[in-house]
Amino acid sequence: MSTLTTALAMARKDLRLYFRDRTGMALGFLLPIVLVVIFGFVMKVVNGGDSGPSRATLWVVDQDGSEASRAFVAALRSAETLRVRPAADEPAVDEARMRRDLADGELHHALLLPAGFGATVAKRELPELRMLRDPDRTLEQQLIAIGMMQAAIAALGPDFAEAFTTRMLERAGLPKEWRERTTALARGFAGGVRRLFEEKEAQASAKAPAAGSAEGVSVAAEPASPSLDPADFLGQLVPVVNEEFRPPERPRQLTFMLSHSVSGIGVMMLMFGLMACATQLIREREEGVLPRLLGAPSERAALLWGKYLFALLIGALQLALLFAVGGFVFEVDFLRDPVAFLVASFVILLAITSFGMLIAAWARTSKQAEGLSTLLILVMSAVGGAWFPLQAFDPPAAVQVAMRCTLTDWAIRTYQALFWHGHGLRDGDVQTNLAVLLGFTVAATVAARALFERRYVRAA
Amino acid sequence: MSPTDAQRAAPLLEIESLRYRYGQRLAVDGATFAIARGELFGLLGPNGAGKSTTLRCIAGLIEPDAGSMRFAGAPFTPATSGADRARIGAVPQEIALYGELTARENLDFFGELHGLSGAPLAAAIDAGLALAGLADRANDRVKSFSGGMKRRLNLAVGNLHAPELLLLDEPTAGVDPQSRNHLFESLLALRAAGRTLLYTTHYMEEAQRLCDRIAIIDAGKLLAIGTASELAAQAGLPGADLEAVFLRLTGRSLRDA
Repeated sequence: MSTLTTALAMARKDLRLYFRDRTGMALGFLLPIVLVVIFGFVMKVVNGGDSGPSRATLWVVDQDGSEASRAFVAALRSAETLRVRPAADEPAVDEARMRRDLADGELHHALLLPAGFGATVAKRELPELRMLRDPDRTLEQQLIAIGMMQAAIAALGPDFAEAFTTRMLERAGLPKEWRERTTALARGFAGGVRRLFEEKEAQASAKAPAAGSAEGVSVAAEPASPSLDPADFLGQLVPVVNEEFRPPERPRQLTFMLSHSVSGIGVMMLMFGLMACATQLIREREEGVLPRLLGAPSERAALLWGKYLFALLIGALQLALLFAVGGFVFEVDFLRDPVAFLVASFVILLAITSFGMLIAAWARTSKQAEGLSTLLILVMSAVGGAWFPLQAFDPPAAVQVAMRCTLTDWAIRTYQALFWHGHGLRDGDVQTNLAVLLGFTVAATVAARALFERRYVRAA
Repeated sequence: MSPTDAQRAAPLLEIESLRYRYGQRLAVDGATFAIARGELFGLLGPNGAGKSTTLRCIAGLIEPDAGSMRFAGAPFTPATSGADRARIGAVPQEIALYGELTARENLDFFGELHGLSGAPLAAAIDAGLALAGLADRANDRVKSFSGGMKRRLNLAVGNLHAPELLLLDEPTAGVDPQSRNHLFESLLALRAAGRTLLYTTHYMEEAQRLCDRIAIIDAGKLLAIGTASELAAQAGLPGADLEAVFLRLTGRSLRDA
């Protein structure tokens, strides 16, 4: 009786058991797909996706009610990074309610346009605004800052060139005691700016048809707000020429976060799925079948190899479905380089399966295995960047070391190298990743084999 | 086969000074006995006496700390030799079956595990189903079976590859009288077909009804071996039933092991 025959018999039996439990099987296959699709969409939304950048909600209390303050609120509404509340068709809110809701955590940012806003603006002075905010919502604060800058430029425009210039010169280090001189300098500059804009507007109105023309078409003015793209935005202050490099192999629809989500969540769910396969060995011991299996004439390790084979087959099926559905839903061709994809997936499957076998061989009960594996998988997923692409943010050295100690990090780096960077098997980084994963596979398999001998065979 | 014939026959299995220790506890303490080819040999003892441990040594699930075993005259080391394990079949005390598989699928899998395939496997499966009286339930999942049906299938799986020696570890635990009777008839049929069986139990009437010879074991030690009447004589209770002999040899204290 050969080891291979026994391993095949074991794998066939386990596959039969796996597919017999229809609900369990459906969950095993559907759950990863559902999660990948959901995470993919979420990441697309967070990252802007097809519908423009993400927006932060900003509540606005107009305590002035002047034409200038209403124009400023309108400019805020058209800012690309803001969702202004109350919406135009919602009733106005007051400061007391904002303070109450902020204290309750119901909202996180409220901008107060104080009484006298219009009068201050009329004097060509910058009005002082008041922001009520939750200090821990830092991501939204960046979006709000960009949106307010867009709104300020759009609403106040060239009329405020003098005020903006004075403020910038003082921010750049000129003392406030020099205000008179600074203002004089800014006034000269601003006068020039104003004349240029007046000339531009005169030319534009001479060319454009009048609003409410015969065709009844109104022409909207081109938005004056700057682009959200940081490079373009910077380019309006200092000259920057953008040169874009995009690997020609990268699928057109693929965004970084989508690529990361499919890889990260796919790897995490694969770990959960294969862990369930591996722990079947423990259940066989608990249900009393193990002695009969060990009584077979073949080499005992064949039982372990049979589980490997079973887990590899299920994992391969899960991965194939996962990337097929992911590719279909997000219109991304993950199989651009099928050989590289197959080799990388096989190595990743081997590493994850051997991890599962190691846990299964170590644990004395299925509860131990489930508890430990859940803990390790969740920790590895978080630290290894399966949920959030830590790899892209150059984390501190200690975090990088921790990341490199996880299977998820190496697996995600491998898939990202293929999907995002468009690399193949000849790439040095891909080869390093695969070598590390294979090294882990060998070490974990040797350890699992030794533990299996000690905890299953000798303790039968 | 009559007991006398059994004693005369060449031994199939010889156990010599077998010893096995679980930590500090000596589970089998120098057991020595032989089982003749074609014999139905009973190992009778209270709970924790060392019956199952002895069987596990013979099945190769554990390696004895000391002692030796011979099978058909040759050294027998089932713990390390797959070829030796192929000569024996085991019916464990637990229902060692997959509930989600059908009776036929269970037989098919365990047959493959013992190297059967093709027509011989199909024949063995049919024979197993007949032995278990489950031919009409062959394609039903085992989880839907009664305890007695599972016990019968458990026996059929152990016997599937027609082993020279079949080890049975309390195979009637928890079954109804009908299934127990079916099991008895199956075992007697196997013996009539020339199969050698080693049967452990703590039920006196089973041992007396089925076994050609009985070894009484307690606290790891073999106390007596012989036919029921020989045991009665050895215990100084000629003509007594097996229960009286058993209690005389093993005492009346409770066993909680």
